[in-house]
Amino acid sequence: MLMQVLTQLVIVVSLLMIVSIGAFVGRYRLRDTRTEWRRRVREAAPITLLLALVLLGNSVARQTVPELSWMIGWNLTWPIYDLEGQFILWLQSYATPSVTAYFSFVYIYGYVFLLVFPIVAYFALSNTRPLRELLTAYTLNYALGLVLYVFVIAYGPRNLMPELVDALLYDTYPQYQHLTRQVNRNTNVFPSLHTSLAATAGFLAFRTRGVYPKWFVVATVLALSVAVSTMYLGIHWLIDVLAGIVLAYVSVTLAGHLVGRWSLSSRLAGRVPYVSDNT
Amino acid sequence: MLASVAGATVATSGCVRQVRSTVNRDGIDQLSLTITTVPADADRESIQLARALRDAFEAAGMDVSIEMQAPEEFHRTVLINHDFDVYVARHPGGVDPDYLYETLHSRYVDEAGWQNPFGFANLAVDEFLESQRAAADDDRAEAVTETLEALALEQPFVPICVPEEYRLARTDRFDGWEDDRIPTRLGYLGLETGETVRTLRLVHTDARLSENLNPLSVEYRDDGTVTDLLYDSLAVERPEHGELEPWLADGWAWENETLTVELRDGLTFHDGESLTAADVAFTYRFLADTTLGDADVPAPSPRFRGQAAAVDGIDVVDDRRLELAFSIGEPAAERALSVPILPEHVWRPRAERATVSGVRTADGTTEALVTDNVPPIGSGPFEFADLVERDSVTLERFDEHVTRRPDVDLPEPTVERISIAIDPRSTSAIQLVSANDADVTNRPLESYVVDDVLESVPEDVRVLQSPSRRFYHLGFNARKAPFSNPRFRRTVARLVDKQWLVEDVFDGHARPAATPVVEEWTPESLEWNGDDPETPFLGTDGDVDTAAAKAAFEDAGFRYDGDRLQVRR
Repeated sequence: MLMQVLTQLVIVVSLLMIVSIGAFVGRYRLRDTRTEWRRRVREAAPITLLLALVLLGNSVARQTVPELSWMIGWNLTWPIYDLEGQFILWLQSYATPSVTAYFSFVYIYGYVFLLVFPIVAYFALSNTRPLRELLTAYTLNYALGLVLYVFVIAYGPRNLMPELVDALLYDTYPQYQHLTRQVNRNTNVFPSLHTSLAATAGFLAFRTRGVYPKWFVVATVLALSVAVSTMYLGIHWLIDVLAGIVLAYVSVTLAGHLVGRWSLSSRLAGRVPYVSDNT
Repeated sequence: MLASVAGATVATSGCVRQVRSTVNRDGIDQLSLTITTVPADADRESIQLARALRDAFEAAGMDVSIEMQAPEEFHRTVLINHDFDVYVARHPGGVDPDYLYETLHSRYVDEAGWQNPFGFANLAVDEFLESQRAAADDDRAEAVTETLEALALEQPFVPICVPEEYRLARTDRFDGWEDDRIPTRLGYLGLETGETVRTLRLVHTDARLSENLNPLSVEYRDDGTVTDLLYDSLAVERPEHGELEPWLADGWAWENETLTVELRDGLTFHDGESLTAADVAFTYRFLADTTLGDADVPAPSPRFRGQAAAVDGIDVVDDRRLELAFSIGEPAAERALSVPILPEHVWRPRAERATVSGVRTADGTTEALVTDNVPPIGSGPFEFADLVERDSVTLERFDEHVTRRPDVDLPEPTVERISIAIDPRSTSAIQLVSANDADVTNRPLESYVVDDVLESVPEDVRVLQSPSRRFYHLGFNARKAPFSNPRFRRTVARLVDKQWLVEDVFDGHARPAATPVVEEWTPESLEWNGDDPETPFLGTDGDVDTAAAKAAFEDAGFRYDGDRLQVRR
C-alpha cells in the first residue's frame, strides 16, 4: 500500500516538476547549469549534507520524541481548543467534495512539489546563495520544530472532534495515511511543519521574485493553500499554523544571516581535492 | 498599666479569634474538573462521549476541561497512578459478573490495574461482592442481583453502553468464521482453508501491539486476543458451549473448595522447555505478587488479579497434577483457570525491581510489569516470529501444540503463519480487507463506519457481529471530593443521556446499559426500559434541563451561586 502511494507521489510530482521547469526556469538557465553544475554542487554540498543529517536524525528522533514528551512535555490540546474555539469548524462548514479534493491534493502533492521545485529552480541559478539559504532554512525548520515537539504535546482537531471535523483526508483517501504515518506522530501538531516548510518556500520565493516572478505567484498561492489545507483537513489548529509561519520567518531570517558567514565550502575548497573544474 | 495591657490582650484575642475563624474557613469555588480520555486515533467514541459529557456537566454549572492522553499514558495515569478526576473509557468487562469483585472491592483500592481504579470503598458493597463470590450455582443469581442493585445505588462508575462489535473477514481464503468466537483466540483457530493458503493476515488498529507483548501489561493490553494466541491457559471458554473447557488441563475436579487439576502430558513451551505443574503453581504465585515476596510490599499483576487472588493455596502433587485451594464457590473459582500460564524459567528473574539508571523507581515496579516481553515465550498455538514497531507482528504455528495432537478434539491452528499489519484507522483496515490485502480485522470496527460497511459489503467478505462484554463508562476518582460522595455521583449519573449517546455517538450500534454485566446476568430491575431505571436522565435528547439539574444537586446537599455549582475546596 505504501509503495503504491509513494509511486503515485513520485509520478505526480515529477510531472509537475517537468512542466514547471519548462515554464519558470527556461532553456538558457538549464544550458548554463550544464556547464556550471560542478561548482554549484560543491558550494551547496556542505549544507545539503547537514540537511540530510538533520533529516536522518529527525527520523530516528521521531521514535523517541513522543516518549520523551509524555515525560517532560506540556499537554496543550485543551488550552489551544479553549483559545481558538470554533475556527476549524467554521472553516469546515465550507466543505464540498471538490474543495476537499483540491486541499487533499495540495496537502500531499502540492506540498511536496512546493518544497522540491525551488531546490531545482535555485540550482539553476548561477548564484548559489538562494539555494544555500533555502536548504539552511529547511534544516532550521526541522531542527527547531523537533525541539518544540519535545516540549509540546498537542493533538490536532481531528483527534478532539472526530465527528465534526471529518478527518477528511484519511476517510476520503485512507491510503494517504500510510504516507503521513511514516513522517508524523499524532501528538506532533504544534507547530505545523507542513505550514512552516511551505511558508519557507514562499518567503524565499518573495526574496527571489526578481529572478522568478511567476514562481513567486505560484508559490504564494500554494503556500497559502497548504496552510489552509492543514486546518481544513482537521490536521492542525489555527495556532499551529500561525506558529508554523513564525517558525518559517525565524528560519528564513536566520538562514539569511548564517549563509555566507562561515562558508564551509570556501574553507574546504583549498584543502580537499574536490571534483576539479577543468575535467 | 498592667490592667490595660491585659484588657487590650483580651480584646485583641477575641478579635483575632474571630478573624481566624473567618479567614481560615476554606473558600467555596465553582466545581472544576477534568475529564481524562484518549484521542480519537485511539478510541473515536471515548472522546465524543467525553465532549458530550462536558456539555452536560457545564449545563449543570461545572467548569469542565478535557485532557487527552495517548492510550498507554492514559492507562498509566488512571490505572496505575490514579491521577484523575473522572475519566471516560472502555472497560474490559467480563463474561462472569465476578469480575466486579476485583473491580470494586475495597481491598484493591491501592493496587494498580483494572482492580478498583476508582478508589471506591464501601463495606456493604464489599459484603455483596463476597457473597456472590462464595455462592454456589443455585444461589448465585440472587446474590449477583443484590450486588448489581447495590452498585446501581452507589454508582461507583457510570456504565454508559455496550457497543456492538463488527469485524470483517474474507470468505474466499478462509471458511469457518464464527461471530461469537472472533473476539477470542478461538476465532483464529480451526479455520478451514485450502492447501495453498499458508498465512492468515490480520489487520490490527492499535500500534501498541507492536511495541509490547507482555500479557501482564495493563498499559499495552486491551482484550489481549493476540497474547492469548501466544500464551495458553488451563481452560478456555468456548462461547458456543458457554462454559470453560479443558485446554492445557486434561480435566479438573471440584471438591471441598479445592480444584484438583491434571495437566495433559508432554506439554512444552515454545523454547522447548517442558511445562509442568511447577510452572502453573509459579504463575499463580507470580500473579499474586510479582516480587515473589522479596520486597516489603507485594506487587500483584494488574491483569488477572481477581482470578489469581481467588487462589488461597497451591499444592504441587507431581509434574502433571496440582491442587488449588479456594474459599469461594465453584463458579467464581473456575475463573482462575483462564489465566495465561507463564514459564517459570523466563519470569522468575523478572521479579527483580525494574531499574532505570539514575532514576529511583517506585516500590513494586518489578521488571515483570514493565518489560516489553519481546520475544514472548509461551505455550500457545502460535509462537512469536518477528515484529516491526508500529508496522507489523508475525507469529508462526507452534507445531507441538496440544490442539495439533490427533487425540485432542480442540480447534487447532490451521495456518502456518499469522501476519498482523498495524493500521490505525477502520477505514483503511476495511480497504485492506476489501482489496484482499488482509483476511480479517482483529479489533472491532469503529461505530461510524459500520453503517457504510453494512450497506455495501464487499465481495467475498463477511461481516461478523459479536456480542460484547466491554462497555463504555464514566469513572470517578472516589479518593477526591466531591466524587467520594454517592449522592454527587448519582446526580452526575443523571446528567448522562445514555440512550441519546448511543444514537448520537454510536449511530445506534450499542445498547444503553444501567448495569455493567452481559445481558444474561442483567436483573429485571435493571433492564433498560427506554430510560435508566435507576438514574433517569434529567432532560431530553441529550440536553440537560438546567433547572432540574440544579434542583437535583441542591437536593443532594450542594449549593449554587447563580448558575455555578459551588463546592468547598
